[in-house]
Amino acid sequence: MKRTLFIIKITFTLLVLALAIFPVILSSHPWPEASRDYLYEHALTDTGAVNTVSSIYLGYRAMDTLGETLVLLVSITGTMGILINLGRESEEEEAVSFSLAPEKRPTNAQRTHLLEVVSSKLGPVVLLFGFYVMLYGHISPGGGFQGGVIVASAIVFLALGTETQTKLTNTNVLGRIEALSFLVLIVAATSGVFFESGFFGNPIKSGSSLSANFIILLNIIIGLKVGTSIAVMCIAMMGGRRGH
Amino acid sequence: MTILLLFMILALGCFALLSRDLLHSVIALSALSMLSALMFTILRAPDVAITEAAVGAGVSTIIFVWAIRHTRRRSKD
Amino acid sequence: MVIERILIFLLALIGFTAIVGAKNIIKKVFGLNILNAAVVLLYILEGSRIGDQAPILGKGVTNMVDPVPQALMLTAIVIGVCVTALALALAVRLYKATGSLEIDTINERLRSEH
Repeated sequence: MKRTLFIIKITFTLLVLALAIFPVILSSHPWPEASRDYLYEHALTDTGAVNTVSSIYLGYRAMDTLGETLVLLVSITGTMGILINLGRESEEEEAVSFSLAPEKRPTNAQRTHLLEVVSSKLGPVVLLFGFYVMLYGHISPGGGFQGGVIVASAIVFLALGTETQTKLTNTNVLGRIEALSFLVLIVAATSGVFFESGFFGNPIKSGSSLSANFIILLNIIIGLKVGTSIAVMCIAMMGGRRGH
Repeated sequence: MTILLLFMILALGCFALLSRDLLHSVIALSALSMLSALMFTILRAPDVAITEAAVGAGVSTIIFVWAIRHTRRRSKD
Repeated sequence: MVIERILIFLLALIGFTAIVGAKNIIKKVFGLNILNAAVVLLYILEGSRIGDQAPILGKGVTNMVDPVPQALMLTAIVIGVCVTALALALAVRLYKATGSLEIDTINERLRSEH
């Protein structure tokens, strides 16, 4: 009896949802072309970026990028706050930094060294590729977010290897880089106010040959922020605490 | 081509939700992200394809595997 | 044209059914992820109808695709993974507090503790 009631409730919800979405499927209204034509003519002279998608989210609508960076910061802070306290029994234990060094990882018996050897050799290559995607975001497909996530995967590769336990995979250092890059992002955003372009505007005059540098700077900042914050979360999820 | 990819995406989604072993579902979700990235490339959206491939097949899978490791791997329904 | 929209609509419906009807919390998070993927696919599909070249200005580009939905979906994908991470952290916290992942058992145990 409970089961049939449950199925009836689910079917009813689905029918209501289908009724709400169905007009989208049957409509044949043509997609408007005004924005595409405007961007085709004016994107290069207004912002200096050849990649029109980059010119939208870093030039015309940079406020959305600021909001998204804020959402990323808040959600990863929340996740780390829950993660750190998962194994804690009392209030006196400290929340320590995480590390994936092989002698501190929670191990099972009978491991091979395949993972550590291969990933420590692949890590620098992926890191270089991530920086390439980040820096060439205004000419070819890519940009801050894409390069940042690739840099995060590269840092996880480096942290899993044996020979590459450097400062780059230390979670304290990564956390400081993340906080610093958010500060630099805010400073870069307010610098437009002093050069009469409004908040988050391009401080360099549009039309000159240097006006793409602002987009490159924003790409680097966003890439560093996204990359280091996701890397800290992944290392914390995969590794053990210091002292376990 | 897009219709074939959409059928495969639909099949992977159904498999992910009906399987009793959660690790199999996580791998099906990762494959779903990869097929989505392929479809974005066909539909002429290279930025979205790079983002979906890096995020869906990389970070999202790590998070799911962590969650399964700290809870149970089998589900009852 | 219409077939692709119907298939994406079915994918969204599957995701929504999982959020509402699944008994395991982690399957609900799977459904959230699938719903996110369906919405992103719909936007990019609709935006790609008016052209046939990638939206990067170059020498031979005359008929490019609409770049506005792509810029919106970049933000949507990143926010989707943030929401998934936080939802899974909360699910693991619930498991540590009650010992089970099914919502009926969690309801009973939480009610009996108060």
